[in-house]
Amino acid sequence: MRRFAWQLLALISLTGLRTSAPAETRPRYGGTATVEIHEAITLTDPGEWPPALVPWVYDRLVRLDDHGQPRPALAISWQHDAENRRWEFQLRPGVKFHDGSPVTAAAVAASLKMGPKVAISSEGASVVIQDETPAPDLPGTLADSRYAILRRGADGVTSGTGPYRIAEWQAGRRAVLAANEDYWEGRPFLDGIELRMFRAYRDQAVDLELGKADVVELSIEDARRAAQRGLRTWTSAPFELIALVFERGRAPAENISFRQSVALSVDRAAIHDVLLQKQGEASGALLPQWVTGHAFLFPAARDLEGAQRTAAAVPKSGLRATLSYDPADALARSIAERIAVDAREAGVLIQVAPGGQADMRIARVPLRSSDPAQALSDLASAFHIGELMEPSAATDEVRYQVEKKVINDFRVIPLGHLPEILGIASRVRNWQPHRWGDWRLDDVWLEPRTP
Amino acid sequence: MTFRTRILVIFATTIVAAVAMVVGIVSSSTRREFERSNAERTAALVQQFSKEFDLRGEEVARAAERIAEADATERILIDVNGAERDYSLHVGDASALSRSHGLDFLELVAGDGTIVSSAQWPARFGYKEAWLLEPVDWKSQTAFLKREDLAEESVLALEAVRVAARGDSRLYVVAGRRLGDSFLASLVLPSGMRALLYRNLEPGFSPQALSGAAPGDAPRLKSLIEQVQHENREATSVIPWTSDAASEETFHALPLDGRDKRPLGVLLIGSSRAPVVALVRFIRNVGLVVGGTGTLLALLLAGWATARVTWPVKQLAAGAGEVARGNWEAHVEIDSHDEIGDLARAFNQMTRELTEQRDRLVQAERVAAWRELARRLAHELKNPLFPLQITVENLERAKREHPEQFEEVFRESTQTLLAELANLKTIIGRFSDFAKMPAPQFEAVDLNALVRAVLRLLEAQLATSAAIHPEIHLDPRLPSIQADPEQIKRALQNLALNAMDAMPGGGTLRMQTRQYNSTVILEVSDTGQGLTKEECDRLFTPYYTTKQHGTGLGLAIVQSVVSDHGGTISVESVPGRGATFRIELPVTRPASAAGA
Repeated sequence: MRRFAWQLLALISLTGLRTSAPAETRPRYGGTATVEIHEAITLTDPGEWPPALVPWVYDRLVRLDDHGQPRPALAISWQHDAENRRWEFQLRPGVKFHDGSPVTAAAVAASLKMGPKVAISSEGASVVIQDETPAPDLPGTLADSRYAILRRGADGVTSGTGPYRIAEWQAGRRAVLAANEDYWEGRPFLDGIELRMFRAYRDQAVDLELGKADVVELSIEDARRAAQRGLRTWTSAPFELIALVFERGRAPAENISFRQSVALSVDRAAIHDVLLQKQGEASGALLPQWVTGHAFLFPAARDLEGAQRTAAAVPKSGLRATLSYDPADALARSIAERIAVDAREAGVLIQVAPGGQADMRIARVPLRSSDPAQALSDLASAFHIGELMEPSAATDEVRYQVEKKVINDFRVIPLGHLPEILGIASRVRNWQPHRWGDWRLDDVWLEPRTP
Repeated sequence: MTFRTRILVIFATTIVAAVAMVVGIVSSSTRREFERSNAERTAALVQQFSKEFDLRGEEVARAAERIAEADATERILIDVNGAERDYSLHVGDASALSRSHGLDFLELVAGDGTIVSSAQWPARFGYKEAWLLEPVDWKSQTAFLKREDLAEESVLALEAVRVAARGDSRLYVVAGRRLGDSFLASLVLPSGMRALLYRNLEPGFSPQALSGAAPGDAPRLKSLIEQVQHENREATSVIPWTSDAASEETFHALPLDGRDKRPLGVLLIGSSRAPVVALVRFIRNVGLVVGGTGTLLALLLAGWATARVTWPVKQLAAGAGEVARGNWEAHVEIDSHDEIGDLARAFNQMTRELTEQRDRLVQAERVAAWRELARRLAHELKNPLFPLQITVENLERAKREHPEQFEEVFRESTQTLLAELANLKTIIGRFSDFAKMPAPQFEAVDLNALVRAVLRLLEAQLATSAAIHPEIHLDPRLPSIQADPEQIKRALQNLALNAMDAMPGGGTLRMQTRQYNSTVILEVSDTGQGLTKEECDRLFTPYYTTKQHGTGLGLAIVQSVVSDHGGTISVESVPGRGATFRIELPVTRPASAAGA
């Protein structure tokens, strides 16, 4: 099922590129690309970075190709035993960290942190990973940004091996990355990247339109507007779960009938068609269809009669609740208000408020991994529903059952999955990011600005 | 109540009543004028409200019309009525349009009644507004009141509907403005008036639905609002906010109907009664001051007037009192020429004539007394003189005719002369005694003992007159009195002898004593022929007697003794049934005799 998903994604990706990418010209070196993001990054630790940005500075042992297959990166080859418990990765020779120190097996083993059940050691130029449980997808897992290889200096500053190094760092505001002249895969075309952080979506859209930025994040509303104005956009696969989460310990949320009535009352189609501008997908599943292949099995349609019937079983005093959202997130607010409208039809009164303590909240959780098991585990941590998860969701069937168990508990109500939409300046050439994550700027070059 | 008090009361009552009547009339007129003025101001405010309501309704309708006719709206109409209806393109349009047109509410609704975009409740896209599909000519429909449900509350809105149509496709533009505090603030309110708006949107009364009110106002206005809601017609009520009448406020409430003619709101126009209360209080205070001052002046004036009237009357009353006490020479000094002056002059004339008559009467009585004295003297002296004359003539005749017998005649005549001279001497002695009655010597006297002593003295005489039966009734508890025992004893003896003289044919001599308050009473009665009234009146006049040989001094002496003891003597008699003399003597020594 997963293979089918990857193939489908690849097809969609190609279609998207054809429709949005301008005609390519000959590559050229030089120039600094300006990238704006909404998030404020305070640390140089890649664990704190948006996954899409991590490959700019940090490499992993393995990377995924456009088909989701693991390909060599810092590791040039790997072997495993029959039970998939012991894996040995041979490192690429001659690679150096940005601080000039060589990338050794010991340094890589020191960099990797994979939990108490996984032992990591070095053997010559190889890194040995011994897992207590079989890990047949370990190379795919190591392609995740959280397993980026780095060297932490005495001052706490990290060094990677990626195509760009950190030349200037203003925590939470601005960073300047310079091209790594000694990059093992060849110097990138760009001389550098200026990363502007904590930029409002609307400001990013304006900067893109004014030519002040080359790559920006776009909100759904701005994406439509940008498209209408002929600006170049790129849409990722739906990778961000947007969900209604019932908080633990809050009286109304502890009543499963109440949770169910709210869940059944939600009109996901209206949210997807209007609020999400038909971006992404309306879904009743935790993970998107392209990741698991079974998301369509979870009903997403509204059942107002069922919601009203379920609400009737709840004491009238228990049919009131509060719903919070991130005050900085206009989309979350719109969705929260729509949920309140839908719930009112079922007889549930929901008061919407920005931030603060509430019985429910709108949560937006980006998937940090395309691996369904890892993604489920990440969601379990994000939603504090670890007790509902199986210790090892190794197969599709088990993962489906786990997801079903979570869905039927009605504590986390998936509403849909959103893609990431970027605005790309017309002078950016060879923009070929992975649809599920990495913003690959190592192969990008810039056309000179027209006077 | 004295004449003066009566005059004062009449004056004060008249002034107070007059002032109260004036205050009452002015206050009542003021209240009526205020109510009339208040009604006019309320009517003007209602008219202003209606005008403002219509004006805003026209503005809303014009805004809705402009939106419906805009090119952008045509684009929306095409998008939402096309084969692939895409509301997402326009979900935020209503908010932008409402801001640009200054509207509080705006909904763009597709031809099937589906909300495409809502400014007031953006999340309601996709829901139906079925009431828009009613067969109504929205183009000619003026603005109307409507309940507008929002995410957190329900509000009252002034809304208008216009329709953008292209062929069979329609797009309803529902524009509106909130009817609340800002609307009330736009009304120009006269001083002392305020306008409140109750939004009749909840099933029961809700204090939060009352705009423009101060905290705590709502509960007092509840009954008035509910009355208007129930009856759906105007009503008026006076609301007392505190126990102070100045806090009262007159509220005129009128229903504000929606399209279905049911009241969606209640407009309350409050008018403070503080000005009229203050004015009425001022009038009342002025009335009190005027009334008080008038009453005071009335008292002074009445005092002066009544003094002028009553002083001569008092003088006359005092003069009359003097006359009553025996001072017939009382004279009233009044120098007025009115009726009181005439009365005073008549009074003075009367006392003058009384005095003159008394003097004439005294003179007459004095003459009469002298005549009576002369007659008695003549009578008393004539009786002894006649035997003296006969005896002397017998002596002369015996000398002349019978010298031999002269010695014998002389001897007999001498005895007779001596006897008659002695008689004359006795008569002269009695007059002398009466003339020089001594002052009584007071000492404690047992009156019962005196009565018994007198009876013992009279025992011999009573024994010779066996037909007279003595009878005594003495009070054993009779107290001793301060008196001269000899004089009292002599007076008793005189009365007892008179009683015995009054009963020549026999009878009962009764003597009795008793106490009455601070006096003792002694009565001496006989059962003789009694006395006439004239005799009773003159009985104590000196030298008046009913006896053939009496001097007329006995009862006069008795009266003199009793008078010297501070007592009184009286006589009661019924002719044919005897007479009773009653002496009343004080137990204590009389004040007039205290120095004796």
